[in-house]
Amino acid sequence: MSSGRLRAVMGAIAPSAVLLAIAILGLLFDTYWQYVFAISITAAVIGSALAMLVGYARCITIATGAMLAVGAYGATIPIVHGSMPFLAAVAAATILGACAGWVLAVPGVRFRSHNLAMITLVFQAVVIIVLRESKTLTGGAEGMHVPPPVILGISFEKDADFLLLSAALYALAVVPMTVLLAGAFGKNLRALASNENAARAFGIDVRNHLIAAFTFSSALIAFAGAVSAPRFRIIDPDSYGIFTSIFTLAYPIIGGMGSIWGGLAGGGILRLIPELLRPLADYIELIFCVLVVATLTFFPDGLASAFWRGTTRRHRVKPGASFTARAIELAPMAELFAATQALGAAAPGRRGGDPILAVERASKSYGALRAVDDVSLTVQPCSLHGLMGPNGAGKTTLFNIVSGFVAADSGNVRMSGTLLDRIPLEARIGLGMTRTFQHAAVFERLSCLDNVIIGLGRNGIAQGIVRSVGQAFANADSRSERRAAQAALAAVGLGVRKDELAGALPLGDQRRLEIARAIVSRPRIILLDEPVSGVSVEEARRLRELLLAINGQLGIAMVVIEHNIGFLSSLCQRISVMSQGRILAEDDAASIIADPRVRHVYFGEQEAAA
Amino acid sequence: MIVVGGLKFGAIYSLAALGIVVIYKATRIVNFAHGAFVLAGAYATYGIVEGLNIGYWPAYVLVPIAAGLLAAAVEFGILRPIRQADMFALITSTIFIGIGLSEVYRLVQNTEMLGVRNPLPGPPIFIGDVIITKEQIWVLVGAIISALIGVAIFGYAPIGRGLRAMAANARGAALCGYSNDGMNAMAWFLGGALAGLAGIFAAPSKGISPELAISMITAGFVAAVIGGIDSLRGALFGGLILGVAETFAAAYVSSAMKNAVSFLLLFVVLLWRSEGLFPEAKIRDV
Repeated sequence: MSSGRLRAVMGAIAPSAVLLAIAILGLLFDTYWQYVFAISITAAVIGSALAMLVGYARCITIATGAMLAVGAYGATIPIVHGSMPFLAAVAAATILGACAGWVLAVPGVRFRSHNLAMITLVFQAVVIIVLRESKTLTGGAEGMHVPPPVILGISFEKDADFLLLSAALYALAVVPMTVLLAGAFGKNLRALASNENAARAFGIDVRNHLIAAFTFSSALIAFAGAVSAPRFRIIDPDSYGIFTSIFTLAYPIIGGMGSIWGGLAGGGILRLIPELLRPLADYIELIFCVLVVATLTFFPDGLASAFWRGTTRRHRVKPGASFTARAIELAPMAELFAATQALGAAAPGRRGGDPILAVERASKSYGALRAVDDVSLTVQPCSLHGLMGPNGAGKTTLFNIVSGFVAADSGNVRMSGTLLDRIPLEARIGLGMTRTFQHAAVFERLSCLDNVIIGLGRNGIAQGIVRSVGQAFANADSRSERRAAQAALAAVGLGVRKDELAGALPLGDQRRLEIARAIVSRPRIILLDEPVSGVSVEEARRLRELLLAINGQLGIAMVVIEHNIGFLSSLCQRISVMSQGRILAEDDAASIIADPRVRHVYFGEQEAAA
Repeated sequence: MIVVGGLKFGAIYSLAALGIVVIYKATRIVNFAHGAFVLAGAYATYGIVEGLNIGYWPAYVLVPIAAGLLAAAVEFGILRPIRQADMFALITSTIFIGIGLSEVYRLVQNTEMLGVRNPLPGPPIFIGDVIITKEQIWVLVGAIISALIGVAIFGYAPIGRGLRAMAANARGAALCGYSNDGMNAMAWFLGGALAGLAGIFAAPSKGISPELAISMITAGFVAAVIGGIDSLRGALFGGLILGVAETFAAAYVSSAMKNAVSFLLLFVVLLWRSEGLFPEAKIRDV
């Protein structure tokens, strides 16, 4: 086993190993503390499940108590009423939890923030009402007795036995969660939480990802509920109420939002506090609230992340070292070309053939405003096409129609002859179309390398899960992905910054990162929305060289929106000028600058007359 | 009779919802701590009416001011430093601030439930077969008048112009001389004052306990969403609709249905018409 692979596998089982170690440590204490350790590792597992939903996807869920109840009752009812074996009942309860998460998420993820929180609250309330009213099955408000777990005739009645059993089960269940969070799936969640539009442009289906996050997270929470139920001896609806939901929400927030460790540590430690601070028992809830608000104020990424950052900071390049101060080394495009071959990238585009992009009489109105009015535009393969026009001319709306963010009222868009109207936004990267955004839209909390890996566009749910598993074994495919992303970063001059957080880069470097992300999938056309806005003249010149190299050596066509006429005319062969939603003129760069109509739009009446 | 009873609670919900909407409109924060502000208002009412024993009239003046100051203090002291953070951080903060305030109440006043005397005792009025208590009329009329005053302040008073300006464009409002810090605190003061009024009207019939905070935030939020969370007028009607629906469900189905109906309404409105029943005209972001 190579050292890289060994490290990847160790990373995937480390949280489980820690859970087991804590349980074994617990054997040194008396039965009371063994009981406390058992509920503490349960909370750690709940925290790790919430790390996915709350920490990564940044959904506020107030349904955790209900999901625990689904697991606890889902396992106990078949054990008591159907004498199902313990392990089978736990498995059934986990599946039930996954289904419950899915049922909650399908209507829920149509909303974000407060509305989503309220939908989860509705779910929470309904589950508790149902449990309380189904008296024959659940014993109603009085609760129901849970027998100790029995596996293969062995009863796990003693605290020490139960602690070991639950730790072993948790250790198994946390592995898939660790793999998903550390791998591509988790990174896609963080990407969509940081910028939904950019995530969608690179093929991340936000809705399905959030549904999957709810499903996985709920399955693990229900599992924890099922495994921990026997320890309480009697379960009743009130112990899974709204306060449980709210205080579990604190686990990933206080622990840390950026990794599974935050959720684990948050859950494990916070659940210990009430036991450690017995004299202050009355104030525990208040202390929790103060801790949460203080964490959100002073350590928005959580305490584990703050600790992590404190220990790793000195290894980083200072963000202040702006790249104008250093020479930029651009790696040859040939390296990117070679690195993407392993991932099945196409040969460089050629001139000739169908137009790479053909917009035919597209229109889009917002109320009375005709943002795009009967626009037709043709872009030849491998060409550089400029698009300029005053503010509000409809350039970005046209981009949004082409890339699929906005549906045109009429007209259509073809790419190499393929009609795009019915192809969803998320699928367009697969056809070879990528874009950048007017306001640099990097995934701020991910490293540069991870940003670019997302740019590969291999971001379906199933694909993300398979890739996460592959990454846990550092397989050939995941190594090829890293190599391709490194090559793309090197090609734009960010090779040395691959491990830095994208949000820490200066603006010019963020623009470069966007370009690296847009080219790594080796698309046939890139839509660039104001690639040099807000950067210095010198940097604009360098970006022009970079874009010319990409176009020349990789054969990628580009449509470039820019206000900077000098930049545009020195980059593009053809330029279209938009004004008030229409294409005013289209010609080669020199003629467009001389065109009196264009001068009229830009410089006003007198200039045009002169 | 059921309708009047429902409208009474509805008017209280309207007041609570109105506070949520005022804060949301001005600062874009959905305040999950609002239930705790209502609880604070109810507790202050208890202090004035039962503790100091000086009757109800001072409460109508002092309680809104106290609750408003509490809300402004929460905004200024806790939320202001994280206003630049994302929605996630702001909303979770208000959730935990709300729970924290309820906990403070529980620690200070460790009893099951406090009662406040009826503001307008006296024999009920008979209109045909219908029995209406004076308290019902008083709460209904009083709450609606308070709500209208709140709407008038936000919609027409000079202070309201600043709040609306900030709602439209915070930076623009700042450039025109409205201090954002001041305006934020003012919005929370106004929202908190409305919550305080809801507390005065709710205290005699609902009793005072941490449960009040939970039930008022749920009802207020549902009412606000029914009305379209951006609309003051909508919040008024949303509260009345919710109050009547809840009372009918409790009377004709079961008391367990009373909670379920508000969730049902929320669910239906969100899924079927997520902009609410009374949406404000809005320009889409392009």
